[in-house]
Amino acid sequence: MTLFHFGNCFALAYFPYFITYKCSGLSEYNAFWRCVQAGATYLFVQLCKMLFLATFFPTWEGGAGVYDFVGEFMKSTVDLADLLGLHLVMSRNAGKGEYKIMVAAMGWATAELVMSRFLPLWVGARGIEFDWKYIQMSFDSNISLVHYIAMAAVVWMFTRYDLPKSFRLPVTVLLALCVYKAFLIELFVHIFMLGSWTVLLVKAVLTGAISLCSLFLFVTLVHSN
Amino acid sequence: MFEEASEVFDNMFKSSFPLTFIVFIPAVLILVSPLPAEAAHEFTVYRMQQYDLQGQAYGTRNAILNTEARTVEAEVLSRRCVIMRLADFSYDKYQKALRQSAGAVVIILPKNMSAMPQDIVQQFMELEPEMLATETIVPVYFAEEDNELLSIYTQTLTSSSSQGSLSAAEVLLHTATANGFQMVTSGAQSKAISDWAITSLEGRLTGVGGEDLPTIVVVAHYDTFGVAPWLSYGADSNGSGVSMLLELARLFSKLYTYKRTHAAYNLLFFVSGGGKFNYQGTKRWLEDNLDHTDSSLLQDNVAFVLCLDTLGNGDSLYLHVSKPPKEGTPQYSLLKELETVVASQHPEVKFSMVHKKINLAEDMLAWEHERFGIRRLPAFTLSHLPSHRSAQRSSIMDVRSVSPSSRHGAGEPPAGWVHYCKSHQYPKRKHFTFQRVSFPSSSLVMALPEQPYCNIIKRLHKRCSVKVRLRWQNSVDDLHIFASSLKLCLPFSLRVKPAIFDLLLAFCIAAYLGMMYLAIQNFGLLYSVVRRITLPKAKVH
Repeated sequence: MTLFHFGNCFALAYFPYFITYKCSGLSEYNAFWRCVQAGATYLFVQLCKMLFLATFFPTWEGGAGVYDFVGEFMKSTVDLADLLGLHLVMSRNAGKGEYKIMVAAMGWATAELVMSRFLPLWVGARGIEFDWKYIQMSFDSNISLVHYIAMAAVVWMFTRYDLPKSFRLPVTVLLALCVYKAFLIELFVHIFMLGSWTVLLVKAVLTGAISLCSLFLFVTLVHSN
Repeated sequence: MFEEASEVFDNMFKSSFPLTFIVFIPAVLILVSPLPAEAAHEFTVYRMQQYDLQGQAYGTRNAILNTEARTVEAEVLSRRCVIMRLADFSYDKYQKALRQSAGAVVIILPKNMSAMPQDIVQQFMELEPEMLATETIVPVYFAEEDNELLSIYTQTLTSSSSQGSLSAAEVLLHTATANGFQMVTSGAQSKAISDWAITSLEGRLTGVGGEDLPTIVVVAHYDTFGVAPWLSYGADSNGSGVSMLLELARLFSKLYTYKRTHAAYNLLFFVSGGGKFNYQGTKRWLEDNLDHTDSSLLQDNVAFVLCLDTLGNGDSLYLHVSKPPKEGTPQYSLLKELETVVASQHPEVKFSMVHKKINLAEDMLAWEHERFGIRRLPAFTLSHLPSHRSAQRSSIMDVRSVSPSSRHGAGEPPAGWVHYCKSHQYPKRKHFTFQRVSFPSSSLVMALPEQPYCNIIKRLHKRCSVKVRLRWQNSVDDLHIFASSLKLCLPFSLRVKPAIFDLLLAFCIAAYLGMMYLAIQNFGLLYSVVRRITLPKAKVH
């Protein structure tokens, strides 16, 4: 609507990242460059994903309104590359588990925020036309920060050698949930015809549940040995 | 974070100069780039006429529109775009909007004009000339109703009408939550068109039987007139006249191909342009034929000139004359023939002759035949309207499809008359089929480079194997038209929120961020809770 509105959206989208960075103690570890490196890895992984998608998934030209179930499922399977990327980032950083997770997740999420949210906000939120979608987008970026932290934690747990046998199944399930979350939500939207605010709520609830579960597992794992 | 970042940037700029360009130039470019207006609701608007005739300005003077929408019910209208529906339209409301110096007026017309109650249509028809007669500074637009536009209207109506009787806090809350709409046209200001022409068409059929045959001229003007040029279809005035002329041309071209039915009359068909602007096309045609040429059919032995104007509806028929025809003249016999045909074949039709002297003192001539009357040619107009002042002749409401068969058969008498003179039985033909001639063909629209209308008339005329000549008449001295920005298909209405809403939003966001801050600060609490829950489990392991 105006520059002021853009400022509102910008603050809503970016300040949680800033607060998280400051409060999680990453700033004391001098982790800025490591976050930037994680962001660069994000870029690289996205490029690879795009190339892969463009090569093997030609645009599906079905009828309008028809949901291509299998195609979408296959496409979100490509998001497994994100897990690999996160693992790559974490394996290159030495340090405590929390530190590794936070650096990878912060870098990853911030890179995503800058790459995919900043330009739409700049172009759209500054326009004369008012639309709630920019506020929603900013909320969505907050949710994705939580999502990436949970995802990084799950990946970290999955790659540990000393993971107890009983943990293997829940961690794998959480990993699958993390990867297919976007697909699941899209499916929900398609089946139940959700409005944009409801979608945001569903996303928040789902992400909250996943991250709470991973927090439980993480706490148990860290303090069990 | 920022300190580290600035350090990084410092090092970056010190070490490599080109990097500065790579980072900063795109940033600067993004910052200074202008914002395109994103369109939310797009619809077409049609602007009111704008022309200067004989030094007098008519219609709206402005085309640019960029204001917030209101309905007439709102308290303050100044510099707002007032939208009204045709059903609620009245001249008082319109005047109120103009008096309060509204930024613009948009009148929403219903999609289906024939579904409107007749009294509203009639009332609007009578208002149209009044709206045009005064010079209006603000732009006046017409739009066709659709669902989006209707929802914009209702939302604007609720926000405009409820402001009167609420407390200040309620008004504040209301303005913060209600949707506003910004009406925007990105068209340029209207300019006078310097290079335009009035197009007229002329076709002729030559009779047989010696030199110096008398000539019958059949005339109809094709241009339409209404408050908005692009909406003036002019089905009745003068689509009906033109279609009748075309039908006559078709019939006679057929009759003139056979020797038995070839009459001893030259026939001249003239489809004139600029008719609604004081019959400018006819005036120029007469000047060309009478003053500038040596030999013309019009110069010698014209039996009569028959003008066809507004014949599509009603079951009355009037022959408008400026001088009652004398006995023994061809006009007199036509009048008698008309009377007999009407009486014998169409008894339900009321036929009469209306006599009105040419008033040269008036700005506008009443009927087209007066142009010929001034040049001393025997002429009259056939119409179903009793008076030239009828609002039906210049209205955008004139869109009702003309009935496929004319009830009064006005075309038959002239046809009968010609053949009566040749003592042949004239062709029995009950009905004339009207070609649906409905294009917005106001002179203002016709001045634009792309004009479908003339070509269509020309094609129809050609099919009748009448020799057709197209006449271009260059711009008229005392008529300046402003044909630009008459029809705009532009990003038009944008949803906007008042500044108070932004402030409120900023407040909410600040509260949310504060909560986030507290939550992240006290993440340790959640962590310890989780740990306490999981501890017994850990012991089990």
